[in-house]
Amino acid sequence: MVATGALTAGAAAGYAFYAANYPGGPSGGSWPGLLYGIAGSGAMLFAGLLSARKQVPTWRLGRAQTWLKGHIWLGLLSAPLILFHSGFHWGGLLEKVLWIVLAFIIASGMIGLILQQFLPRFMTKLVPMETIYEQIPHVCSVMQSNADTLVASICGPLGTEPPKEAGEEKPKRKPKDVQPLEGSGPLKDFYLCDVRPFLNGQYSRTGLLSSSSRAASVIEQVRIMLPPTLHETLDQLALFCEERRQLALQARLHHWLHGWLFVHIPLSVALLVLGVAHAVMALWY
Amino acid sequence: MTSPGSGTSATTELLTAADMAAYADFAEIPAKQWERQFEFTDRAVVRRRFQKGDIICREGEYGSTAFYIVQGKVDIFLSAPIAHAKSRKSERERQGLFGLIRRFATGLTTARQDQREEEEFRRWIPIDAPIDLAYDNPIDQLGPGDLFGEMTCMSFYPRSATVRAAEECVLLEMLRNVLELIKKSKSFKEKIESSYRDRALATHLKSVREFAELPDEFIDYLRPRVELLSFDPGDVICKQGDSADSLFLVRIGFVQVSQQHPGGDLVLSYLSRGQYFGEMGLIAGGVRTATCKALDNVEVVKINKPDFDVMVDRFPVVRAKLEVEAAKRAEATRLQTQAAPHVPLGRFLEQGLMNAQNVLLIDLQKCTRCDECVHACGSAHGGVTRLLRDGLRYDKFLVTTSCRQCTDPLCMVGCPVGSIRRRESLEVIIEDWCIGCKKCVNQCPYGNITIHGFDESQLARVYEGQKKQEVEDPSRPDQKRVMVLKATTCDLCSELAEPSCVYACPHDAAIRVHPREFFGEQFRQRS
Repeated sequence: MVATGALTAGAAAGYAFYAANYPGGPSGGSWPGLLYGIAGSGAMLFAGLLSARKQVPTWRLGRAQTWLKGHIWLGLLSAPLILFHSGFHWGGLLEKVLWIVLAFIIASGMIGLILQQFLPRFMTKLVPMETIYEQIPHVCSVMQSNADTLVASICGPLGTEPPKEAGEEKPKRKPKDVQPLEGSGPLKDFYLCDVRPFLNGQYSRTGLLSSSSRAASVIEQVRIMLPPTLHETLDQLALFCEERRQLALQARLHHWLHGWLFVHIPLSVALLVLGVAHAVMALWY
Repeated sequence: MTSPGSGTSATTELLTAADMAAYADFAEIPAKQWERQFEFTDRAVVRRRFQKGDIICREGEYGSTAFYIVQGKVDIFLSAPIAHAKSRKSERERQGLFGLIRRFATGLTTARQDQREEEEFRRWIPIDAPIDLAYDNPIDQLGPGDLFGEMTCMSFYPRSATVRAAEECVLLEMLRNVLELIKKSKSFKEKIESSYRDRALATHLKSVREFAELPDEFIDYLRPRVELLSFDPGDVICKQGDSADSLFLVRIGFVQVSQQHPGGDLVLSYLSRGQYFGEMGLIAGGVRTATCKALDNVEVVKINKPDFDVMVDRFPVVRAKLEVEAAKRAEATRLQTQAAPHVPLGRFLEQGLMNAQNVLLIDLQKCTRCDECVHACGSAHGGVTRLLRDGLRYDKFLVTTSCRQCTDPLCMVGCPVGSIRRRESLEVIIEDWCIGCKKCVNQCPYGNITIHGFDESQLARVYEGQKKQEVEDPSRPDQKRVMVLKATTCDLCSELAEPSCVYACPHDAAIRVHPREFFGEQFRQRS
């Protein structure tokens, strides 16, 4: 941060001197302007190399943390350097597009940086049952299977197909049929109508069990209809629902944590391509 | 009862009590006892005839029977290459201007090609038979009167070696009840013990680094003097605080070594065939410093104190080596028992962190779940990651699924060839003669050991120097692609200055630490 600040200050001082003394005023085509342009492009290029660096994690080219710091601070430094390169002019159409792309890249990067400072803390605190993101569908499927077994052992056959996992050709073996316990009807209905689809179906944030307070109230209503011997089973189902809510929250936070990259990376590639086009056109013409 | 190896032409005959009683080797066992064994099942023991080349059992396979050779000879060998999995830049890619930035690969490497620090001294590989196999050429023969597969039969461990009929032969394959019965026969036991003293004791003693220098004359002197003892699971072989009167060499089974401390017993080690215990008390001339307990059916060689004293007096080099080893064990114990005064112990103990020496922690408040650590681990190990970004949480850290170098290494219990052990630095190391049976994978309570498969093309270089042609499995000639499995654990990327997972973390979230020291410091600062 200190180095970036110092470099920015130095570049600004240089620009002030150059703008005041250069015949015809500052422009991208002047030698000082070109130097600013080369430095800014170099900083952007280095920032862009982070993605390439991540493709070869075992190469000893410096710690990934150092590269990330370089990416952030040199990426930020590129903005004033390009500003000094242009002499605070918008330029033609291509240059205007370049400005807009650069602005979006810096904005998305800043947003990403901020999100990555806070969201891991939230996720750690709010999702104690966190799992590997890619494993969430599998965990949900296993959870539904376990819940099926639990409920079927009390309420008798559920009449549903055991959950099928992705890539699995044959469904799992059906649990052994048992006689339903007395008074377990409401539990079975509640499970089949609300809990089962919630555990492994399309998750809806407005669903009956998606909010913990609403779920608690629904579960209390069901509890009233059940004999006390089945309360423990109901509590276990409530735990499954809690885990499903946490996994859904994890998925949401994960999308926020990494979603900005879907803007940042394509725009960065576009900036590098357009930057080359700008350089070729400027030097050619 | 297991079936003979696939592709064999073995024939099986059911035996009666009278058939068994007719065997001269078992003549001492009363016919009534045989009849009692056959009351419940007529398949407790069968007679199998094998043709030359038939595979009798394969290394790594599970079973529940032992074999007694009645007639003919069998080859007993390890078909797995004597090599360990090693990750590094391939030799071709290490050269040239861009050698620094080439890809990594995991391959099999022999001890000659890659002598690891503190590599276990080995001339012999312990197997579940009355003999050990030579490290350089792991193949030998057994003949009439030999018994093999005792550990598989008694404790259900995987087969430790592949056995193939060297000529037409007849074997008795027996279940545990029959094995126990014949071992109760005094004459049979004496025969087996005599066979062990004559054929295996010397290699067994010499396979221990500290006794490697003993001359044959002295082993001849020891041969009639050592005692061969058996223990049932849970039996205490020697107790902490008792007078030290002997040294023990493990012959069969696993021994747990533990020490009493305020708050409970601390497991120091698990010893398997070819390892010894009891030397510390003898050298110090005092009492036992730990309790040694049989984990399963254990048989040990007991060298009594007078003979031990003669040995160390006559061979000062043996004494010197034993003293060095005793000092190392004492230091290892000291390291293990170092307290972590500031750490709240409840969950620390529950998660086994007290036993861990080097864990990969991820600071969940910094980690963006980008999985760069996992990708880096996979890249550094031939595409097979040795870590999962999953596990239990302790404080704000995730204790990842990656080898934690336990001081109570349960992974070592049950290795049929004793190829997984702990270095003097307490790190877990998998020796070259791993047969890929996955026992350690199943034993590790944290799921931290992985299996790496190597195909034929990767094996060529390793087989080259090992005369393996003569022990290749002839029963699978049609199989074009041979996969050899080797167990692997986190090697801390020892080829590199820093573990790849830590190096590749862009957010400074991944760290490798000694948990007691690290959390002790964390909690000390907070308090």
